[in-house]
Parts: sequence; structure tokens; C-alpha cells
Amino acid sequence: MKKILMIAVAVCSTLFATAQFKTGTLQAAGLTCAMCTKAINETLKELPFVQTVKADIKNSQFVIQFKDGANVDPDALKKAVEDAGFSIAKLKLAANFENVKVDNDSHVKIAGKTYHFLDTRSQLLNGEKTITFVDKNFVLVKDFKKYAAKTEMACVQTGKAETCCTKEGAKENARIYHVTI
Amino acid sequence: MNKKLLALALPLLAAVAVIAQPTVGERAYEISLPDVKGAIQKLSDHKGKVVLIDFWASWCGPCRKANPALSAIYTKYKDKGFEIFGVSIDDEKKAWRKAIQADGISWKQVNGQGGWEAPVALAWKLEQIPASYLIDQQGRVIAIDPTKEDIENHLKNLLK
Repeated sequence: MKKILMIAVAVCSTLFATAQFKTGTLQAAGLTCAMCTKAINETLKELPFVQTVKADIKNSQFVIQFKDGANVDPDALKKAVEDAGFSIAKLKLAANFENVKVDNDSHVKIAGKTYHFLDTRSQLLNGEKTITFVDKNFVLVKDFKKYAAKTEMACVQTGKAETCCTKEGAKENARIYHVTI
Repeated sequence: MNKKLLALALPLLAAVAVIAQPTVGERAYEISLPDVKGAIQKLSDHKGKVVLIDFWASWCGPCRKANPALSAIYTKYKDKGFEIFGVSIDDEKKAWRKAIQADGISWKQVNGQGGWEAPVALAWKLEQIPASYLIDQQGRVIAIDPTKEDIENHLKNLLK
């Protein structure tokens, strides 16, 4: 019985692509110096999936440690930064991947969320990898334009599944994160 | 009955006061931290002078930008009973020392290592930098984040 269970677990883990986010680095932009206020630290720390937030002064970024096994929500990170009066200029999340196959300009379902990889070569993700978010309001405007030009799909403009995506089985209006690696 | 309540409430109020930013009219909290040479400098050592407490850090652009204007005021009033007590929250002492040299800072400088979590930052409920407090000869706060015009006006009144 135990053996069967072990085999079942092994089979499942190869069938289902998973990724567990461990850490993130975040740069904020605004009219004033983002590192000169405690506000971003505080709004990020209030998020239920955030363990610690440290300011990396040299690189003008916040280093976020996520709680073990927590459901990391990139939109909540964005809202926290905006609540502090800033916007995200750069967001990178490091995750432990298990058998995640990614292709350029296509959608991948990872741990319940849909990711659209742009400017990416086809590869199988295993181990710790870092993905960079390129959605609108997750990067500077000029960077968003650069990445948005790399796809014909309309979802890049809204961050939500459009008619282009629904034929792949994505529910209309479902959140789609645009990323690169 | 009322007196009893008051007696109960007073210590509570006092406890609350310690964890809030000082407001105008309140006594400034004591600061006791090492200077560049490692010698402990106390804010209370400057009682009798008008003191500007200036919270900053080497990596804080707006703070650095304000230093030339502070220098000008300092040069003008330092012999008339004015002192600036700079409190950096730099983690890296080397970066702090470099900034002092680069900006030609000649006023009192102490370092409260630890950024926003530094004991001095927590005690003063520091939310952002630059942050400054002007205190009178008795150690009472008379202005928070004063402009250089505000500082000069107070100095003209207080240092007659």
C-alpha cells in the first residue's frame, strides 16, 4: 500500500508542474526616495504571505522572504507598494520549480496561476529560478512597452484572459501574469 | 473616584507618550550614541543651546541635498548658541563617514546603526528621512521638519 502511494506521489509530481516562491526583490518608484520611507516596509510586512522585508540599500531594492508554503500573490505585492504611495519599478520572484515546461509567447499554468512567458526560450524549469514580472504597473512604462510588443495576444494589455486565451481553456477574465526568464 | 482613575490613567499615558513621535511643546527624548571616533555623545549635553536634531542616512538623496543649506546656517549661528545634532541610521559606518567627509559636515554626528529598526529610530517613531526637530534651550520641541527660513526665524528670536 505504501509502495503504491509512493509511486502515486512520484507520478503526480511529474505530471503536475509546481513552483514554490521563496524570495522576491522589488524596486519601487515614486516622486520621492522610496528607500527614505518606512511605509513600503510596513505595507509589505502586513501581507499574510510575507515573512521578512529587508532594505538592500546598495541596489535600492527591498528583499522579501516569503513564508514557507504560502500562497504568494504578486497583485497583493503591487497593491502594498501602491498603498505606500509608490509604484513597482521591478519585481523578481525566485521559486523552486519542478518540471515546468515554458515556451516563448505561451501560457503555462503553475501552482494554480497562469503565466504568460515573453522573450523566453523554450526550456524545462527545474530547481531555483527567478522570473521577472513585465505586466503593466509591475515595470517602468518603457519596459512594459518593450515587452508588450513581443506578443500579438491582447492579454498583455489587460493582464486578463481575452478571447485569444480562452480557446486554450483559460477562463475569460482570469488573471494572467506576464513574465520573462 | 476621579482621582483614582487619574492615578491609573497617568502611568498608561506616560507609557503611550514614550512610543510616539514627540510633538511641539514636548521634551525631546534623550539620544545617546557614538560619534565617528566611537565616543558617546548625548543630546542632553547641549542643553542651553538651540539644537536641530537631523535624522538622515548616507543613502538618502534628499537628506544629502539639504546639507549645504544646513552648513550655511550652522556657520552663521554656531558661535551664538546653536548646534546641529545629526543622527544617521546608516548600517554601514564606512558609508556614513564617507558622506560626512564628502558633504563637509562639521556639526555633531552620531550613528544609530540599524536603519528603521535602530533603537533610536524606534524610540522616535521615525517613519521617513529626512526628519528634523528644532529644540529650544530647555530641550523642548519648537518645530518639526522646519525649513531653513523657519530655523533662522527661531534662531533670531531665541538667540538674542
